[in-house]
Amino acid sequence: MEEYHRHCDEVGFNADEAHNIVKECVDGVLGGEDYNQNNINQWTASMVEQSLTHLVKLGKAYKYIVTCAVVQRSAYGFHTASSCFWDTTSDGTCTVRWENRTMNCIVNVFAIAIVL
Amino acid sequence: MKKRGRGQKAAATQALQPQSVGLKKDRKPSMFEKESYAQILKERLRESIHDVQYVEPPLDDSIADIGKEWKSALSKLKFANSYRMEPLKKFQAHTVETKVQQILKESLKDVKYDDRGLSHLSLQLADQILLAVKEFGYQRYKFIIKILFIQKTGQAINVASRWIWDVAWDSWVEAKHETESYVALALVFAVYCE
Repeated sequence: MEEYHRHCDEVGFNADEAHNIVKECVDGVLGGEDYNQNNINQWTASMVEQSLTHLVKLGKAYKYIVTCAVVQRSAYGFHTASSCFWDTTSDGTCTVRWENRTMNCIVNVFAIAIVL
Repeated sequence: MKKRGRGQKAAATQALQPQSVGLKKDRKPSMFEKESYAQILKERLRESIHDVQYVEPPLDDSIADIGKEWKSALSKLKFANSYRMEPLKKFQAHTVETKVQQILKESLKDVKYDDRGLSHLSLQLADQILLAVKEFGYQRYKFIIKILFIQKTGQAINVASRWIWDVAWDSWVEAKHETESYVALALVFAVYCE
């Protein structure tokens, strides 16, 4: 009987890598663009899907949830909170806030470990 | 001064090109090309800023390392097989949705939009919903609750989520509470721990 060997030996969620991945994806999709009602659906979808594919490429045994909220920039109030029930040693989260002249964007990554 | 230098380099590479085409097909990208790419990127991102709001486990904390040492020691241990392929009680999205909707309605019955009050209330609400979901008694499930309060001032907002999980028993629930001055959105994700 063969045993499954993990691809990488790191244990625990690496928030630094996740934050870099998310930042690159957001910069790539929204960098230099202005808020546009026609494209916004496409942008949010591609941003979230790209970050997810890059996170999976890290090769760790994790389930990922990526949430993104894009708001047009104006005088408004916005609160967000999250509460999680998980294993604090192996699971983790990373939140990146990105803004430019016409919009604000908040991306949340949650990673939950799979015990093999 | 710099511009003149660059112009000269470009002319030199162009002069060389017809000679080298016969010898090798790919040319190494010149310094000029690399600089202009970086400049274009900087131009595009000139108006944007970003920062990391919250990270767990904390990036520079030594407390996190203690947890990691314990965990890596644990990974060398082998757990006995539980022979359980699926959760005993699968996550029922509809029952949880009614409960979360009820909690939102009760807590936000007469609450008006107010900067400081709502930031405290959002954390409180997240904990309250987490307790309620735990009370359902789903074994071996991990939960993530997200609360969003958006003030209604005529701006547009777009919220998107994607995930990679096991479709058979992982699921999510959404509840919305709308008032005159704001909209409250609650997202609950339930992930089975294999």
